[in-house]
Formats: sequence, structure tokens, C-alpha cells
Amino acid sequence: MKKFILYIIIGAATFMMGYTINGLYSPDLSPVQPIPFSHKIHAGTNKIPCMYCHIYAENSRHAGVPNIKRCMGCHSIIRTDSPLIQTLQTLTSYWEKKEPIPWVKVYNLPDHVYFPHKRHVKAGVPCQRCHGDVANMDRITRETVSFGIPYVRVSPLKMGWCLECHKNEAQKYIGTPVKNGTDCWTCHN
Amino acid sequence: MKRRDFLKILGVGGVGTGLGYFFGKASKPPAAELIPYLNPPVDVIPGVANWYPSLCTQCSAGCGIHVRVMEGRAKKIEGNPLHPINKGKLCARGQASLQALYNPDRIKKPLKRRGDRGKGDFEEITWEEGLSILSKNLLSLSEKGEADKLYLLTSQIRGSLNKLLNSFMVSYGSPNYLQYELFQNKNLLYANQVTMGVNAIPHYDIANTKYLLSFGADFSSTWISPVSYSYAYGQMRQGEDGIRGKLVQIEPRLSLTGANADEWVPAKPGTEGVLALAIAYAIVEDGYYKGPDAASWKALLSEYSPKDAAVVTEVAEGRIREIAKEFGQTRPSLAIGGENLARYENGMSGLVAVNILNHLAGNIGIRGGVIPNSNGSRTIDFKNNIAAFATAASASKVKTLLVYDTNPVFTTPKAMKTEESLRNIPFIASFSSFMDETTAMADLILPAHTSLEDWGDDFADPSVGYPVATLMQPAVSSFFNTMGLGDIILSLAKGVGGRVKDKMPWNGFSDYLKDAWKEKYSKDKDMLASALTFDEFWNQLLTRGGWWPAEQAKVKAVAVSPKGIEAHISKASSRFEGEEKGFPLYLTTYAHSSYLDGRGANLPWLQELPDPMTSVVWGSWIEVNPMTAKKLGIKEGDTVTVESPFGKVTAHVYLYPGIRPDTVSMPIGQGHSAFGRYAKDTGSNPIEILPFMEDPETGEIALNSTRVRISRTTESEKMVKIEGSTKELGRNIVQTISPEEFKRMNKEVS
Ligand code: SF4
Repeated sequence: MKKFILYIIIGAATFMMGYTINGLYSPDLSPVQPIPFSHKIHAGTNKIPCMYCHIYAENSRHAGVPNIKRCMGCHSIIRTDSPLIQTLQTLTSYWEKKEPIPWVKVYNLPDHVYFPHKRHVKAGVPCQRCHGDVANMDRITRETVSFGIPYVRVSPLKMGWCLECHKNEAQKYIGTPVKNGTDCWTCHN
Repeated sequence: MKRRDFLKILGVGGVGTGLGYFFGKASKPPAAELIPYLNPPVDVIPGVANWYPSLCTQCSAGCGIHVRVMEGRAKKIEGNPLHPINKGKLCARGQASLQALYNPDRIKKPLKRRGDRGKGDFEEITWEEGLSILSKNLLSLSEKGEADKLYLLTSQIRGSLNKLLNSFMVSYGSPNYLQYELFQNKNLLYANQVTMGVNAIPHYDIANTKYLLSFGADFSSTWISPVSYSYAYGQMRQGEDGIRGKLVQIEPRLSLTGANADEWVPAKPGTEGVLALAIAYAIVEDGYYKGPDAASWKALLSEYSPKDAAVVTEVAEGRIREIAKEFGQTRPSLAIGGENLARYENGMSGLVAVNILNHLAGNIGIRGGVIPNSNGSRTIDFKNNIAAFATAASASKVKTLLVYDTNPVFTTPKAMKTEESLRNIPFIASFSSFMDETTAMADLILPAHTSLEDWGDDFADPSVGYPVATLMQPAVSSFFNTMGLGDIILSLAKGVGGRVKDKMPWNGFSDYLKDAWKEKYSKDKDMLASALTFDEFWNQLLTRGGWWPAEQAKVKAVAVSPKGIEAHISKASSRFEGEEKGFPLYLTTYAHSSYLDGRGANLPWLQELPDPMTSVVWGSWIEVNPMTAKKLGIKEGDTVTVESPFGKVTAHVYLYPGIRPDTVSMPIGQGHSAFGRYAKDTGSNPIEILPFMEDPETGEIALNSTRVRISRTTESEKMVKIEGSTKELGRNIVQTISPEEFKRMNKEVS
């Protein structure tokens, strides 16, 4: 009997462990995208501002992924010789097929959360606060590397994490905690 | 620790970790995709709504709407706050019209009949094919010299589309363009014609009246312009001057409006007209009418003394005189005659009596009374009605029928044999978006857009004392392979060629519409004054949702004279079919607040909406007074057969204290045999068992015109309703005190 209880405890503990490991290291923290687009080149090397491509961030709850016409606006002139721009499975081929690129969402909130980009951007929260040092990422990821060990998430997207900022960190941006920032209806409506 | 135990622990640990890992994976939301636009439309920001002003077409009130559109999809409809008719409000039918757009039972492509007529066996065809079938048919008809045997049957379309349809029919050579709906107020129009000389519905200024005498007008749910009237009613009750207007409702069955009234007068069904005349007589006799022609009015009305009327109407003489006093003395007062009164066999006479009342009390042409609309008289050919059409069809005088947005098979009594006469027509083409009972009889279906996908305009009638024009613009691009009715007609004109084509050179209906407005703009001095150029004016139309003057027009009085009115009023109470012995109960029918004449039954939101009075959801019921039910030995939920001399339907019994014991009542709207999955085979249609009884002058079909008997079947079922008990059961929900106590308390306070 004693042993049986021990097995249950061990089973439960390891179950939690497995669950956490999945949460931390699972590949969906940095999903593979349909084309090997690099933020490092665009935002890092070339210093293109975020809102040049994510044009709706200031006006809408969605930041918006650039429409393909916007991509082609540059790439019909710039780096047209690059194989990654030209060949199959790449930007130009989507444009020629007149198909949108099916990007995989990295930051995904459940449907019962209402998160407006607009308000956060207007309040002066830098994009990097939640999305990490995008300018140094080739592929967007939610992992950060500390002491050579990749394990801390850039933003856990858990409710406590949101509230923490609404209560404390917000003062850095707007001088006060967020008004009604901890009301249920502020985010769940 | 033994080696065995160690291995066991290791095993449990491993399995635990694995399970945890995969459970974590499975419980995560699946990776979502972000699909960007290839080339975004200029006015779309994902996540930000665009609101397009447009027009509600769910009834003919003509309310203005705002459609909330996100990324090209209509999400919600609200009232247009600038619009003078509905002032930002919207009724349930308007809200639910969104579901017409997304309805899974929409006809998504042109269809051609394959099997027997009326069997619902269709094959899909292309638009080219469909249009060419129809234009060939029209061509061969006109070649045979039978152009006048083309009939066009539509709902009450106003505005430019109506003009287009009219000029199509005229240039084709057929005079037979007919508009038919169950509720189109023809009796009221006619009554206004004979009393006030205008073939139009005036603006009933409910908002500013102090005493409203309503003869069966359920204006808060279905009558003429319910949103506008309900809003006005709110203002009347909470008048800015601090005087709460009084509402007296005269009807055998308590409607939603009746339930709001201060007094309910359940006169005997069919005698309300007589009651109105008795009130009129009392006004003259008791000296509340001060006009110089009082003597001739008295002579005219002398047959209707309150004493005699009390016997006929079962309303006490004292009460009649009291109403006369209040109505005659309160300034301003207003009498209105609604569907319940209008749809008796002599309903027109009752409506004339209501106009007489308004005249005697001096209500015509004053604020808070009857304000004539300035849009002038309509030209209505009362002889060109649905019954005449059915007769023509049975006599093989109709060779081709085009039908749009109207459903006479459902809305006319079986006794009229509409369906049989349709079978007699060699070719029927329908432009309906839904497979309603009439469209099911068609040989060719060319589905038109729903109103959220199409262009159009509307001139509200009745308006609010000054003209109101509403523009309808496509809030979304078409969802299925459908085409706007205007565009269909213009393509047909091209297909038919000749004179018709020359008359209609437009490429699309939107061009036609814009041209029509350009013409209106160039002629109307108010419009010219309102904007600089036509383009600016047009843009203003598109953003505001229509055009209406800022100022209310001057109210002008209209006199009613007793001369010639005599011919239009009758002393007799209205006729009911069926002997009293065999059929002891009067049947009254009323428009269900969600389905109106049945058109809303295919929208699931409306099906789910409890009826405001009975709180019943789904199905059909018959309202029976508890006393009558006790006598008949029936209880709530029992399935009964409702039988008139013309047929029978079944319905569940709802015990309703708000109805006279000698009357039963059924809502109209359910009992469809087609019209999509939500409407089909729910409830029953009381129109089926009505006699074919039309007003001799207007051709309006009487809806309150038969007696019935009800008999229990073996079945019974629990009513689906949200109301639990009508009794308070000692819960002190409604607290009451006696008048004496109230007076005493009042004294103490003051
Ligand atoms: S009354 Fe209701 S259904 Fe009729 S037009 Fe207005 S909102 Fe639409």
C-alpha cells in the first residue's frame, strides 16, 4: 500500500515535470515559417522600424502581418537576385500564384482574451517588451537563452504576467497603474 | 532499495513524464495561422470595423441602419442614429436581418426546374443560361402579341427600383406590375382618401399627443412603423412637459401595445367601427365638437347613439361617453386604427370612423395629432390586387409571372386557391433568395442579392411629416452567386432588346440609381442648397445614409366634411363566416412580432425569440381564455384542432386571460411548408383556414372574418415558454395598495 502511494506521488511529480518541459521547450515556441524570413536582416541589419511592416499596430487591436504587396513593394527592386526571394516556396512565387503566405502564429492568445495592440503601443510599451529582441532573431521565437541554456520564455502570456505589468510596470509608461487594469472586463469582454 | 523497486519507480517516472509532456502538447491551442492580405482594400484595417449606413428591408417602415463590417464580413446591424424614422433604434427583425445574409438555405445559384412543378427538384445553371431562358420567354411572348400577359409581382418596393421595374414593364408593354404583401394598409389608404382626400398614410404624432385612442393598432410590435412609433410612445409617456399621455386600447385580444395601455376595452369582435362612431356621436352630442357643421355631423351620426352601441359592442354607455369626453377634451388627442380593426370584412368603414373621430376632436393637422405627409398622394389602383391576379391566372390570362420577395401562396387563404391558379401559369420565374412557398412553384429561379449586398433607395411612407429618403448601399460584396434585382432587370432589358433596351441604356443598377439621384438633386432646391456639387452630395448620402431636411416642415390642417362620407361607413358589425352554433368562437389573427407575415420565420434568432406577450418560443399556439378552456375541458399545452368552415389546423393551447371568452387568437408567421430548415414544418398557419373575403372597395383580404370551433386531440405537450406562472403566489413581486390608502398617504405627504 505504502509503495502504491509512493508510485502515485512519483507519477504525479514526473507528470508535472513532463508538462513543464513541454511548456518550456516545445518547438511551438519558435515555429518553422513557410518561408525563411529573417527579422534579423530586416529589423536588425537594415533597421526597418517595426511599424513599417506591422502597419496596423497603432490603429487596431491587430498589429497586422504585412500584405504581400508591401513585401513586393521593396523586393521587386531590392535583392531581386537572391535565390530566397526568387525561387519556389519563396516570396515571389506566392506573389505570382496570388496566394497569401500562411504564417504560423507565434504569440497566440485564447479567444476569451481581448488584447488590443493599439492601446499598448499608444501607451508607449516598446514592442520588444513582449516580443523580445526581435532584431536579433532570424526566426521569431519565444525562447531566450540565459547562460547558454535556452529555457526562459520571452513572455509567458499568462494572466498573472499581464496583471503584473498592469499594476506595476505600467507606471513606467503612463505614470500610474492601468486604470481598471485588474478588472475582469478590461480583458475578458 | 531493491533493484525491482528501482526499476518500477523508474518506469512510473518515465511514463509520468511522457504523459505529462504529451498532455501539455495536446492541451495547447493548435498553431494558428496568420493570413495576410495579398493586396489589401484601401478602407480595411483588420480588427477595426467599418460602419456602412444602409436600409432595413425587413418590413416597409424603411428604417435606417448601420452595418458593422470587419474585413469584408457583416457582423452586426444597429440603427442609424441620424435617421429620423428610427433614431438609432432597431427592432428584432432588423437585428436578425443579418441572418438573411448568412442563411444556409439561401439559393446560391440560378436554378432551373427539372422535375414536376412544386416538387422542389431543381438543377443548377449559369447566369448566362438563366437570363437567356427568361429573355427568350419574354421575347416569344411579345412576338405572339401577348406582352400584356406578363405579370410582375413584388413586395412593396419604393424608390428607384420601383421606377426601374415600372419602366421595364411599361416599355415591354404590360400594365400588370402588382405589389402585394399581407400587410400593406390598403384599407387605411382608402379610408384616408375618402375622408382627407389624400391617398397616403399621414404621420401619427404619437410622441406629442396626450391621449391616444388606439383601435387595435399594435404599434409597438408590428403596425406600420413599429420602431418609430415605439420611440414616440416612450416620449408620449415621459413627455418633456411632465404630462404623461394616456393610452386606451380597444381590441378583443390584448396585444403588446394593449398590455401597455392604461385602459383596455375589449369590445365585441367586429363592432369596433360602430364603437368609434358611437364615440363620435357622443362627442358631437355632448358638445365637445365646436365646428359650424356640428348639426350635419349629428344628423349623419344619429344612428349611432351610445345607448344602442352599448348593446352591440358590449361596452357600457357610460364608458363610451367617458372616452368621448376624454378624447374630445384632452388637447391634443389622437385616434389610430390598426390592423385588428382594418382587417375585418368592413374594416375600411371602421378606419373612416377613426378619421371622423380625429376630425371632430380637431386633431388633423396639429402637433400631437395627425400630420399629413408632404409626399403627396399615391396612385393606387385598388382593383389591381392579388385576388384579381389569381382570377386572371385561373382564366389563363397570365402567361409569364415574375415574382420577387412576396409570398402569396403563404399569405392568402387556401379558399382563394392561389396555388392552383399559379399552376395554371405556363412559366414562373422567381428572383427570391429563399425557397419560399411561391418560389417553390417557379420554373426558373434567378436569386437576387439580399439587401446587405445590393444598392437601392427608399422613400419612407409614412414619413414623419417631412420627406425622408434612405440610401441602401452594399455593405459587403455578394456572398454567393447572386445578382441584384436591378441588374437582373437591366440584363433582361438587353436580352429582350428593341424598345425595352432603348429605354434602359444603363450598364448596372448602381449607375441607374446615381442618375436617378442626380436628377432629383438637380430639381430639389433643398438638396441644391445643402451641398456644393453633386459628388459631394452623393458622398454625404453615402456617409449619412440618406437625405432628410434638418427642419420639420410646416404642419397644415386638412378638413374632413360629412359630405359623402355616409357611403363609406356602415352600421352593421363585421361579418363572420360560420354559424354560431357550429363555430362558437371568433378567430382573430395577428402578425407575430418576430415573423410579421411569415417572412421572418427562416431566421433562427427570430425563432428563438420568445413572443413578448405569451413568452412562447417556436411552434404555433392558440390563445384561449381560461374560462372558455375550462368549459371545453382543455388545459394549457393541449393540442387542439382549430376548425373553420374552410379547413382546419392544429395548435397548442395557451391560456390567456387577456382575450375575450368568446374569442380565440392565433399569430401569423409559422406553418411554412417550405422556406428553409428553420421555418419548414414548425407550427401552423391560421391564414389557411380563413375564408376568401375581400373588402369590396380595396381588395384587402379580411383576416378577422371567421368563427371556429376547437376540439381536443389526444396529444398534449409542455409549452416551450420562458414565463413560469402568471400568478404571484404570495411572493410580493407586485405590491399593491388600495386607492383609499393611496389617497391617505398622499395627504400625509403633502
Ligand atoms: S421596423 Fe424593424 S423590420 Fe421594419 S424597417 Fe424598421 S428595423 Fe426593419
